[in-house]
Formats: sequence, structure tokens, C-alpha cells
Amino acid sequence: MSDDLPARLAQFLRGKFAADDAQIAGLSRIPGGASRETYRFRARWRKDGREIERGLILRRDPPASLIETERATEFRAYQAAHALGLPVPEPIALEESAAVLDRPFFIMEEITGCQVGNILSADPYSAHAAKIGGQFWTILGKIARADPKALGIADFAGARDAQDCWRREVGRWEKVIDDDELEPQPIARGALRWLKRHPPPRAQKISLVHGDYRTGNFLFDADGNIRGILDWEMAHLGDPLEDLAWALDPLWSHGNPKRPAGTVPREEAIALWEKASGLKAEPSALFWWEIFASLKGVAIWISAAREYADGRNSEPVNAFSGWYPLSVHNMVLAERLEAIA
Amino acid sequence: MRPDPSRVLQQSAAHLLFELAPMIATPYAQSTLSLIALLMMIAAQDAAQGANIRGADNDDMRKLFGALAPLVADAALKEKLAEAAGAHDESFDIAALDRANAGLRTLLIALHAHVEALPGEKARAAEKRIWGVMKASAARRLLKLPAM
Repeated sequence: MSDDLPARLAQFLRGKFAADDAQIAGLSRIPGGASRETYRFRARWRKDGREIERGLILRRDPPASLIETERATEFRAYQAAHALGLPVPEPIALEESAAVLDRPFFIMEEITGCQVGNILSADPYSAHAAKIGGQFWTILGKIARADPKALGIADFAGARDAQDCWRREVGRWEKVIDDDELEPQPIARGALRWLKRHPPPRAQKISLVHGDYRTGNFLFDADGNIRGILDWEMAHLGDPLEDLAWALDPLWSHGNPKRPAGTVPREEAIALWEKASGLKAEPSALFWWEIFASLKGVAIWISAAREYADGRNSEPVNAFSGWYPLSVHNMVLAERLEAIA
Repeated sequence: MRPDPSRVLQQSAAHLLFELAPMIATPYAQSTLSLIALLMMIAAQDAAQGANIRGADNDDMRKLFGALAPLVADAALKEKLAEAAGAHDESFDIAALDRANAGLRTLLIALHAHVEALPGEKARAAEKRIWGVMKASAARRLLKLPAM
């Protein structure tokens, strides 16, 4: 962090809030998302004679990130989810030029008194697992149900035609593997060919897809209330089953795929999603999207490993991604595709 | 005997993770230190088993190529498979094993795509066998981390 970051941030907020004065305190980097640098701070400003103080979060582009994402998309996805009444931090300001803080960034509300579930924990939600599961799968269903036009995000990247959702996503992630693989990937290549030979049915609708909706990407409080769905940087338009399959993926199951996301039994999770979304998770379509989810994971981890190997981003999370989750997703794909071969 | 490198990495990682990381007040530094400790644990597994895993992968692929080459219709691919099936690893150096592994994986991808396009029961059984070899490799390479 550069020494004058607080001063520059204060100057930006003065302009943003048309404030008489603004001060920044306690600016410190926190873990949170691999594709942006995340900082927490307290801002105090005076406007119209009133003094206002808020805890805020700064999300700034890193020099290179685990996945290349648009911060404007992430910011607008927060705006859409906030308007929909979902539990997300209130988005405050977006700055796309590098002139203010060296790199583009956005600012949002800090949600305090919460924690995230550690993906390596065997029992991250303990006594609150059922309560959190009820909210987790229902919120995902609400995202699927929402109309992108009404949310003002119909221009988001992604599929426009319900027939094209799968093709677009497979093409997107195949390109990532083509560009970034450090060694030949026979499991991923076999999975890609399987996905293309067995396309899923047409999407039931075009939905907002969070892109990384999973355990570890939401804040919950001590009473088991989900207070903030985070990390919308991969949001796009597509088949709502894409998000459901990603959330069900064994990598996020805390060691028990029968209880996805460490919450409730799989059948109950799907039923909650169906009820909230008004859609059906037809088993063969869902299976296709689950194979796709693990393949997408492989692509993300390969991309992270490439960033690290090339020295563009030395954050340990990039090396970790290229080792542990990649090994899990290769295992999931090989097991599932061997079983049906 | 000097301490085994794998054990040194494991114990140092446990020390960082369970004793030192909790003493760090800054969340980002604590989280990063914990992640570095996990990387050390994974590196310890690779230090202990890396050569074995790569050697077993390479042996499996060569045996597979020898068994499936008679099915292959493409003459150039058949020749490459036969050549690879008759080779063996001459060094336990990790970089040398990785180079051989990359070549064999490239050939495995070509063989898999070729077999998928062939008709008949034998081709389907071959497909199943290829996935079996890839599953065994993935199982060997699956990393284990401590429950947190």
C-alpha cells in the first residue's frame, strides 16, 4: 500500500460526497476475493453541517489477477442485487480510471460482525448449517428468478439466446485453458469433448449468473443470518443452472458432496432452489452443468497457476489454486466421466 | 540421519499455521501466512511422492499405449504410440519426469480423441480404459490438506 493512499482516497470521497471535509482512518488490507485487492477503512465526512461516519470496503484492481474481470460489471451486479433486496453490501462508488488510486477501484459498504466459511473446514456452519442452507439456496433461486431487464443489466456480457448459453461458456473457458495451460491436460480435454458431444437442453430462461456463488463467498453473522453475498466479479447472463451446479460442486462441499456447501442434503438444496426460482433442475441438464462447473474450475486454477508461474502475480493464492483445487477438480471430472464412459 | 525434507516442511508448516499465524493481528497477513503454510504442506507431499507419482503416471500411459495401439487406424499415431510404449524413464529427476509426462499426456489426448471417433464395442471399452488411467492419475495427484 502506498503511503499516500489514505490521503488520495479522502480526496476522492470529498468529491464523491460533495463533502466539506473527509478523513480516512484504519485503512488496512484484508483477505477477500482473489481478483481484487481488498481494504477496509473508516471514512468520516462533513456535509451540510452534519458529520457522517461509515465503515467502507475498497476493492482495487491488482497488477494482474486470478481471473480477468470487469470491475464495472462487478459493481453493477452489486447494484442490481442490492436493488433486488438481496443481502449484499451497498455499492457506493466506482472509479474506472487509474488516475485516482493508480488502478481502477470501487467502494462499498463494510458489513461488520460477520465471518465467511472456511472452505477447508469440515463443519463451517455447525449448528447454523440448516438455517444458512435455507437462505443460501433460496437466495440463489431468487437470483435465477429475477429478470435481467428489470434489474438494468440486460447489456451484461453473456448469452442473449437461451440456446447459446452452454456454447458460449464452454468456448470462454476452453480459450482460457488454451491460453494458459502449463502442461497438457488430458482430463480437461476429454471433458471439453464430452461437453460438446452432449449439449444440455435449451436454458429455461436467461438469468443473471453470479459466476462464483459458493460457500466461502458470503458473510454470515453469529445467529446464522446471511448478511452479504460477495464476489460478483464473474457475473454474466446465462443459464441459471450454471450457478446451481457451481454451488453444488464437490470442491465446495467441505468433504461431503451429499451435503453441498456444508449446508443441507443435496435433494433439499435443489428443492429450495426450485421453489425460489420457479425453475426445474432437470437431472440430466444439471449433470451437464456440473461437469461444466468442474471444467470451469480447472480453467480458473490453470489461469491462476499461469499468473504465478509467469511472475505476474506472486500472491500465494495463485500457487495454491494451481495445486490443490486443480487436483480436486481433475479428480471430480475423471471420476464422473469414467463412471459414464 | 538428517531430518527428512518432507518432514521439515510439514512440521514448519504446522508451526506457522497453528502457532504463529494466530499471533498475527492483521487479517491479510494472517491469511497469507496460513496459505503459505498450506503451500509448504503440499510441497512436502510432492517432495516425498513427486517422483513416484510421475513415474507411475508415465508407466500407466506407456502400458495403455501398448495395449490400445492395435485399435488405432491412423498409421502415424499408431507408430508414435508403439514408440512411446517401448520407452522408459531414464532418470528420477523431477524435471526429466515432467518432460516425459508432458509428451505422454499429449499422446494420450490424441489417442483419446481418436478412440472416441471409432465405432464398436472395443472402442467403447478402450474409452473406459483411458478414463480409468486418467482417474488413477488424478487419484495419485489428489492433494490432502488438514481439516481446519
